[in-house]
Amino acid sequence: MKMRKELVFGFTIMGLILLPTLIFMPWTNLTNGHLGLMMLALVVVAIMMGFPTAFTLMGMGVFFAWLAYRSVNPQVAVQQVLDLMVQRTYGVMNNESLLAIPLFVFMGYLVERAALIERLFKSLHLALSRVPGSLAVATIVTCAIFATATGIVGAVVTLMGLLAFPAMLRAGYNTQVAAGAITAGGCLGILIPPSVLLIVYGATAGVSVVKLYAGAFFPGIMLAMLYVGYIIILAKIKPSLAPPLSAADRKVDIPEKNRELAQRGRNSLAVLGRAVFGAPPSGVSKRTVVGQFLIALLPALALGSIILYSLDVSTRPDVVVDTSGLKGFDSGDTQAVSGGLSEPPAESTGLAEPPKEGELAAPPAAEPAPQVAAARAEPVAKAAIPKPAPAVDKVAAQRVDIPTWFWIFGGILLAIIAITSFVMTWERLEVFKMLLSSFFPLAVLILAVLGSIVFGFATPSEAAAVGAFGGLLLALGYRYINHRREVGSGPAVAVTMRDMGEILKDSSFLTAKTTAMVCWLFVGSAIFSAAFALLGGQEIIERWVLSLGLTPIQFMVLAQAIIFILGWPLEWTEIIVIFMPIFIPLLAKFNIDPLFFGLLVALNLQTAFLSPPVAMAAFYLKGVSPPHVTLNQIFGGMMPFMGIQIVALILLYMFPGIGMWLPSVLYK
Amino acid sequence: MQKALLFIDRVSTWVGQAFSWLIVVLTFFVSWEVFSRYALDAPHAWAFDAMAMLYGTLFMMAGAYTLSKNGHVRGDVLYGFFRPRTQATIDLTLYIVFFLPGVFALTYAGYFYASESWAINEHSNVTADGPPVYPFKTIIPIAGAFLFAQGIVEIVRCVICLRQGAWPSREQDVEEVDVDKLKKMVHVTDEDIRGAAPLPEGTK
Repeated sequence: MKMRKELVFGFTIMGLILLPTLIFMPWTNLTNGHLGLMMLALVVVAIMMGFPTAFTLMGMGVFFAWLAYRSVNPQVAVQQVLDLMVQRTYGVMNNESLLAIPLFVFMGYLVERAALIERLFKSLHLALSRVPGSLAVATIVTCAIFATATGIVGAVVTLMGLLAFPAMLRAGYNTQVAAGAITAGGCLGILIPPSVLLIVYGATAGVSVVKLYAGAFFPGIMLAMLYVGYIIILAKIKPSLAPPLSAADRKVDIPEKNRELAQRGRNSLAVLGRAVFGAPPSGVSKRTVVGQFLIALLPALALGSIILYSLDVSTRPDVVVDTSGLKGFDSGDTQAVSGGLSEPPAESTGLAEPPKEGELAAPPAAEPAPQVAAARAEPVAKAAIPKPAPAVDKVAAQRVDIPTWFWIFGGILLAIIAITSFVMTWERLEVFKMLLSSFFPLAVLILAVLGSIVFGFATPSEAAAVGAFGGLLLALGYRYINHRREVGSGPAVAVTMRDMGEILKDSSFLTAKTTAMVCWLFVGSAIFSAAFALLGGQEIIERWVLSLGLTPIQFMVLAQAIIFILGWPLEWTEIIVIFMPIFIPLLAKFNIDPLFFGLLVALNLQTAFLSPPVAMAAFYLKGVSPPHVTLNQIFGGMMPFMGIQIVALILLYMFPGIGMWLPSVLYK
Repeated sequence: MQKALLFIDRVSTWVGQAFSWLIVVLTFFVSWEVFSRYALDAPHAWAFDAMAMLYGTLFMMAGAYTLSKNGHVRGDVLYGFFRPRTQATIDLTLYIVFFLPGVFALTYAGYFYASESWAINEHSNVTADGPPVYPFKTIIPIAGAFLFAQGIVEIVRCVICLRQGAWPSREQDVEEVDVDKLKKMVHVTDEDIRGAAPLPEGTK
């Protein structure tokens, strides 16, 4: 039988792992540590055989843990293994970080089923119609947003393969470019938070998920921007690969009720303003005019309120004043205290009120203080109130001078308001309305979830739960709007309710399966890595790596190269849960921040999704593409984007600030 | 024999799906807790324990269900390229070598772990006066037992495959990427896809 080339490839990798292990094992004096290394080599081979990884890890872990315990005391070895196993399992069941996984996954399935991607893509492609390579750019932007909210690579690539791929091919796009944009864009959700990959890394490496989210935000945006930049440049240099849209494709339909008004002038805002405040319009109801005017004014209103809010924030009296009074009482838990005080409203206003009638016990200040502080607020308030109260009063009266950055920031925003108002033609108003009903709800959901995590208002799991709730509302809203258009508003309620039942059921079942998959993998790997540590394999690797005398940079490059190569045969979950426990202890020896390392790993594992022969994204796209598109064309299209990922990796490595700036500002 | 196996398969699915609804409970519970804390100033000390228990129960009890739908992640470098008989041989061997001992050990150890917890009437120590944890710990042996039973069904599947040369079919279940459903959602038909050939040269 002639072997297929995929099998040859797989067996070669297996051989490359097994042979050195067999050759370099000092068979005559085998120590436990060597057993550990052998276990590592065996597990990679066993995983490649294709048995469910969770149970491969569990089975091997149990066996090798027993070997390790037996070498110390054979009598109690079995009991020790059993104890270890059940405690590790219970640890996974109680893991605070992993708790967020089902909730984020659930949110993803709900958002995916909200049926808003069609609208999102259409409105973005109209909004971006003047950009070179607009369809491909719109594809990447749609993917970035949608993939971020859902985090499900397969579904995003399939959906975009159905929507954007035919659209791009029909517009005369090169097949490779179109395929590359979809596959690369669909994988962005892995990196841009809230992503499950970062939770899994955080839980394995013991790094705060919150910091990882803050850190991965800008690298994710950077990668998306690099993709967009690549496409724009490509479309500029070789327009034949990504031709501009024809005028017919760019055309935006102006609804009946606005056409009348549109004849009065190009700028919608000016015409509507005149119609609202000046001459009454003929044949158009006042309600329509006011409604349209408010919508057209929305960007200006939103930006204006940002200016006012930042003015308020920038001139807010310095809150540090009252912390100094509190610090002495709470040195034990300064983190919680300063965290509570950095958001001034609740506590500082409470403290500013002087206690009435000299009554000190349980002042109102204790009531609004957040959970953690509540228990402590009483003694703090007792001691602190009488002294700083007048001082705070005085500070509140005189606000801080307006800083320079505010003038610059406000000026830029004002300029944006002026420009948007000036260019708000009737077509743009329509596009803006479409964005308002597709892009902004999703963007607000993502930013609210991320913002509340990053700024510390909620733990990741709480934000995920609220996000899932928001996803539920989105699904409800969009399904209802779609049905109303089809069957009218009366029966739409009933149809939507039936839909929602189906959506909830599907999403719950899928969530249960995905969560079980990831978390059982954790159960297996918890036992496995315990066995590895017991055998002392870690020490051998550590000694070996240190004996190489690498500089931190060389070590980092080596580590990333290993992860990159592992990304070919293995899935990211397996790489993280099996190999991160080996890398993480080494980081301290080289003075590398595990947070930074995590960002690099997350970026690196992106490439695993795009590297043949196991690039899942390609197969999902192939499944829904027209018959004349070959798998090789798709692979070919992914290559430039893989190159961009490597460029992004190098950029992040050269300028760690891209990732580390936000966490360092937020969590000093 | 066949019937008994199909029955176990159904039970695993039914139990897993029943426990899947915990995610809805978890979502509403946590959302309510957040609302209650920020809007009503009434945080509950036991909320964290309850969250962990809901999550832990959810994924543990869905383990057998996931296995019955072939949902546990596999390293797919070689596996997909093997013939069914080769796949079945590998699976059969590794179910016996890795799966059965591992899951049996977990169930066995979990039984004593839980019974100790019942014996001392253990309560959570995350907060003072925490909720009881012995029901939660009991989940370990229960989930382990379901998983073990499902593992035996999978072994029989391998044997059937070895005999017949093809995998016996699995019962249908909701899938993550269901192309037909997705097509319906975005209103794309097969004709649209087939018609998406690039325009011939010179028609522009």
